Amino acid sequence: MSDKYWRSLEDWRNVSETGDAEFSETPIDIEAGPDRRGFLKAAGFSFGAAMLAGCGRTVQKIEPNLQQPEGFIPGRPVYYASTCGGCSAGCGTLVKVRDGRPIKLEGNPSHQVSGGGLCAVGQASILGLYDSRRIAHPMVDGKAASWAQADAFVQDRLEQARRAGGAVRLLTGTVHSPTESAWIGHFLGSFRNARHIEYDALSASAILDAHERTHGARILPRYRFDKAGVIVGIDADFLGTWISPVEFAREYAAARDPLGSQYAWHTQVESRMSLTGTKADHRVVLGPADLAGFVSDLHDAVIKGGSNRPEVLQIAQRLRDARGRGLVVCGLQDVAAQALVNGINEALGNYGATIETDRASRQRRGDDRALENLLAELRGGAVDVLIVAGANPAFDLPGGEAVAKAKLLIVHAQRMDETAAKAQAVCAAPDVLESWGDVEPVEGTACIVQPCLQPLFQTRPLVETLAAWSGKPGVALDLIRDQWRQEIFPKAKSNLAFEEFWERSLQDGFAQYTPAARARTAARRESEPEPLQKMDPQDGFHLALYAKPALLEGRHAYNPWLQEVPDPVTKIAWDNYACLAPGAAAKLGVATGDVLGIQCGGQDIELPALVQPGQHENTVAVALGYGSQLSGRFAKVGPQWLEGRPTLNERGLVGVNAAPLLGFDRGSLQYFRSGVKLSKTGTTMALACTQEHQTVSVPERLKPAGAKIRPIIQETTLVQIRESGDRRAKESPRPELWPPDHPYPVHHWAMVVDLNACNGCSACIVACQAENNIPVVGKDEMRRKREMHWMRIDRYYSGALDSPRVAHQPMFCQQCDHAPCETVCPVLATVHSDEGLNQQIYNRCVGTRYCANNCPYKVRRFNWFNYVREDRMANLALNPDVTVRSRGVMEKCTFCVQRIQEAKIESKRLGRPVRDGEIQTACQQTCPAKAIVFGDLDDPHSEVSRLMASGRRYRVLEEINVRPGVGYLKIVRPDAPAGEEKENG
Amino acid sequence: MADIALSPPLVVGHKSLAEVTHDVCRPMERRPGGIWWAAFAVTFSMLLLGVAAITYEIATGIGTWGLNTTVGWAFDITNFVFWIGIGHAGTLISAILFLLRQRWRTGVNRAAEAMTLFAVMCAGIFPLIHMGRPWFGYWIFPYPNFRGSLWINYRSPLAWDAFAISTYFIISATFWYVGLIPDLATIRDRSQPGLRRTIFSIASLGWDGAFKTWNRYEMVYLLLAGLATPLVVSVHTIVSWDFATAVIPGWHATIFPPYFVAGAIFSGMAMVLTLMIIARKAMGLEAYINLRHLDVMSKLVITTGSIVGFSYLTEFFTAQYSGNQYEQFVFLNRALGPFFWAYWTMVSCNVLIPQLLWIRKIRTSWAAVFVISLLVNVGMWFERFVIIVTSLHRDYLPSSWTSYRPTSIEIATLIGTFGLFFTLFLVFCRVLPVIAMAEIKGVLKHGLHRLEAHR
Repeated sequence: MSDKYWRSLEDWRNVSETGDAEFSETPIDIEAGPDRRGFLKAAGFSFGAAMLAGCGRTVQKIEPNLQQPEGFIPGRPVYYASTCGGCSAGCGTLVKVRDGRPIKLEGNPSHQVSGGGLCAVGQASILGLYDSRRIAHPMVDGKAASWAQADAFVQDRLEQARRAGGAVRLLTGTVHSPTESAWIGHFLGSFRNARHIEYDALSASAILDAHERTHGARILPRYRFDKAGVIVGIDADFLGTWISPVEFAREYAAARDPLGSQYAWHTQVESRMSLTGTKADHRVVLGPADLAGFVSDLHDAVIKGGSNRPEVLQIAQRLRDARGRGLVVCGLQDVAAQALVNGINEALGNYGATIETDRASRQRRGDDRALENLLAELRGGAVDVLIVAGANPAFDLPGGEAVAKAKLLIVHAQRMDETAAKAQAVCAAPDVLESWGDVEPVEGTACIVQPCLQPLFQTRPLVETLAAWSGKPGVALDLIRDQWRQEIFPKAKSNLAFEEFWERSLQDGFAQYTPAARARTAARRESEPEPLQKMDPQDGFHLALYAKPALLEGRHAYNPWLQEVPDPVTKIAWDNYACLAPGAAAKLGVATGDVLGIQCGGQDIELPALVQPGQHENTVAVALGYGSQLSGRFAKVGPQWLEGRPTLNERGLVGVNAAPLLGFDRGSLQYFRSGVKLSKTGTTMALACTQEHQTVSVPERLKPAGAKIRPIIQETTLVQIRESGDRRAKESPRPELWPPDHPYPVHHWAMVVDLNACNGCSACIVACQAENNIPVVGKDEMRRKREMHWMRIDRYYSGALDSPRVAHQPMFCQQCDHAPCETVCPVLATVHSDEGLNQQIYNRCVGTRYCANNCPYKVRRFNWFNYVREDRMANLALNPDVTVRSRGVMEKCTFCVQRIQEAKIESKRLGRPVRDGEIQTACQQTCPAKAIVFGDLDDPHSEVSRLMASGRRYRVLEEINVRPGVGYLKIVRPDAPAGEEKENG
Repeated sequence: MADIALSPPLVVGHKSLAEVTHDVCRPMERRPGGIWWAAFAVTFSMLLLGVAAITYEIATGIGTWGLNTTVGWAFDITNFVFWIGIGHAGTLISAILFLLRQRWRTGVNRAAEAMTLFAVMCAGIFPLIHMGRPWFGYWIFPYPNFRGSLWINYRSPLAWDAFAISTYFIISATFWYVGLIPDLATIRDRSQPGLRRTIFSIASLGWDGAFKTWNRYEMVYLLLAGLATPLVVSVHTIVSWDFATAVIPGWHATIFPPYFVAGAIFSGMAMVLTLMIIARKAMGLEAYINLRHLDVMSKLVITTGSIVGFSYLTEFFTAQYSGNQYEQFVFLNRALGPFFWAYWTMVSCNVLIPQLLWIRKIRTSWAAVFVISLLVNVGMWFERFVIIVTSLHRDYLPSSWTSYRPTSIEIATLIGTFGLFFTLFLVFCRVLPVIAMAEIKGVLKHGLHRLEAHR
């Protein structure tokens, strides 16, 4: 690690030559408009960096720039458009770079796929860059090596394979980079027996296979939820983890604007309570064994108009009524069922409307059949060289440890995971923020990944490695530009020269072209449809393996922010567990926390039980992605003290890996397993749950006579909105004895949260953590209800236990005008600003916690300990605009006051008022559903003023007259029967 | 003559003035016995345990306590209010009862005042150590500074607390010391020349026992009693405002000031009883602290205890009558929720058990009163715990509901304050007269026995 942050360009070159240059200061400023010189400089630096990055030598001097680089102002952030590498969805990002150092990722609002949002994973991926435990250099046989040595070793072995015609296999995750795809082709083309296998640990392979069968092309269509009027989700958690959640969440929220022309009705058919299920207007809870049957019934009902299940008939009727506006999505790994789904969508005319095949998605390209074959080959010892890149099959596949049976295993990875640990040669991969790359998540939208600083370690992107091993070494930027010049530029039919086209694309973060239209083969009617998969109807439970929105299949298990963000449905962090329906738990005699033995297909794991309302009676659901070696690093996370308990379990990991329970069936990776035996072990385990009480209503036994449900979550119906319009009745101001203390002469900052749009995905929580330097506290502190997140999402159930309705409510400092916290602080450490903010003055706080006690929303957070910030590299991700708090002081949401100040200063400099929408809080910026709006109430035309006047707006705990500055928009239930409203809560 | 005949003597056993002096000074003038040393060893160990716990807490963070985001105060403020309450009996006995000419107070006032001071010391620890950054504790006092000048928030009850408690401590200490002066002079006169004599000479401020000295002394004492009287009411009123001015249901109640004051006197009296019952036995002061005291103080306990019990009922009534469902829930949750055991411990110890004192036989039984006084102390500790923890742990938003469980550090800190309290009391018994000799000589009624002999 270098201590050197400032230097002149001359100095920079000198340093580069001696081997170390950490931060390139001048990538391209997209705000400043096209700056060709700047770009070329940056490009040149990157070449130099890529070639010279090596041999770390600590430079102890700190020197100021003699000549300020053009357009570079210390302390002012510059944003660069890039693409997120958190999963294969390919969302556009704007990387906030301050003083040559990326510190925050934001969604790129003009991006064609993600549209400005970013999920929790994307927000947290900045920590991946500053992860000091990444693989820092290539390794051969477990020993550090130079790239030259590693290349020599690998090329020698590859040459043998080439000559002997040995089997060479490249196993990757979804590759949607055009340049990588091209180079994989080049590279494998030089072998006689070589194959590229793509797989997704969260596979959608059956959808692709079904389209191959029905539409003649193995594609994943692009689903357009925004165009849908009726959405039927069958075991597809499209708001949480399925294919492209940010894109889908944006479209879904757009389709469900109660003032829009149509309000999409959504039914979710599933076995467990998924995040998507929590938003559904109607849920059908079916066991895993019945889901395929449901598809078949729905198919019959839609095509033939008949079914003996009234529920199915109703859904079919809605779909038929919304011809061309319906959308049936299915996550089942059953090609036959998927073919039926295609048949339904085809029959309803949804293809070409809500389902696009011309601009198909490339976000999941895995082929499970090929994967299964590869695993068989590996087990048989038939693979000579296995190259694994960007995947961890030894962890996330059943029987994945067979990778070690390849005669030579080469792994291209960022971290020493289960697969890399088995490899003879390890190639250190760079983070997405320090390397060039390109991504094409959707056909016709090619996105650029640009580096924002010098690579921190001796890493090399996959394309460079492949080029080197193909005997045509090159630099990633060159390779990508060549690819774009040859492939994408001609297709884009731009009237610009290539350089300008490239530069424009770099500024935008993406380029668009119209892909060649795919010949529309009408859905082939199969003479004899393949029978649906049958799950063993034997006794015992069905197991549903699923992914959590933050941890996915486990590739981010190293990331403390993602481990610590509570699951949006269960509100549990730092663990996986076995979700059981309340009825099943009662039958087994287990309560939350009792450890269960789960036996499935010869595999045996032990997990604590969790009672989950809304789950199918016969299903036990377990999250994947836990128990990864990458989580072994959290032994010392959080405060270490006398009664502190470890974050890691007795195996030294976070949670238990459930991937060995996965299985293959007829060429698809199966997430449902049958014949599962549960047994009580008699031990218990404390789960770190941030919400103990699950409903708005108080326990029945303690309910005051005649008390109504607390009006914390409020709901309305579509009918009501359409009848009464969205205006609210004029409110008479509350009578006051005293003149107002706080007149708010210039600005009155306020926020409105649309509870109908919010799906609880928790991206805001992580965005807030990144923006505001919020520490990680570990499992024990979470268990003690001392999480530090300034923002939480309260999740309330209402209605019946087996089919509850769910409300998500983001909760953070309400910036009350009559703030109870302000009056009680003895030292004036929390005071009201004349812009309506409750300000917390950290260095004045003595920590009496009186303010937190007196907060009706309990949104204040206390620094119970000095939270460790010893990893100097991780500290580079800190936001320099926000104080890092010490122990003993109170903290809380400030409406991102640093962003407000920045915008105010900027507008003052430009001599104009602050514009509405110019200030975006971190949570608002990242929200995929655009559920959060921040602005100035003093401006009657601002968006926030408009929403405050909405008929759906209410304030939480308005009745105690603390005058919160945050408004909430009521949840819309499309056609709730009148009687149901009462029991809500 | 009639009143003398009717009211029983305040000191039994026909003590002469010299005997009184001898009886009171005797424990100070001999080496401590085995029982004293044993008691001291126990209490001092408790104190050391507390010191270790507090040191660890200050070095590590408030996180070493079982608090959480929702329950921001628990053992800390419970102990604080508990000890402040204990400290109330002293001023009540020394000031109000003095003004009301309750002459029985002379037997117990010295010890009760000392107890007050020690209890306020124990209480004073908590506002300091409950802070996240106790090293900046002085920031809650207004003092001229170079920060702007930055003042305190005069609207905050915690700032009022700082004034109330520091005033209370200063006045109580002064009052106690002024009352000690004649007795200090007695000890001075009884001691041999040496260090002891020098110390007591300085401390007794040149007391000469002249008529004029006595006259001025009694005037000062009377004035101080007048000054201290409002404090009996004010301190606990202000402490109750810590809760009453908050918006949290269960705290936000106008009944709190009288309720807290009654509770404070209740617990203080119980603690005086506990201590005096031990002290009279251990120090052979049976003649000076006798059934008369037991009877009177038991009556005070049952009076204040009934006020407290009435307050409990009033709280429920107010909650029901308010129609405020948050308020109603808090009280149902107190009685039937997860901390029901704390609530019912409180009700049994504070309301039900003291009712036994209506029975004269129990009221005049040393053992029975001792047990009841201990239970009242337990009950009053739980009262504060119930008010603080059960109100906080389930307030407005059910999403934030949590529970609370103390850590070993908190328990050790509580034990430590008892250690401090009893250690100081044991030292007090050794170095100062536990009974106000000068005052008790005024109520001896000597000659009465001769009168009785004539009959």
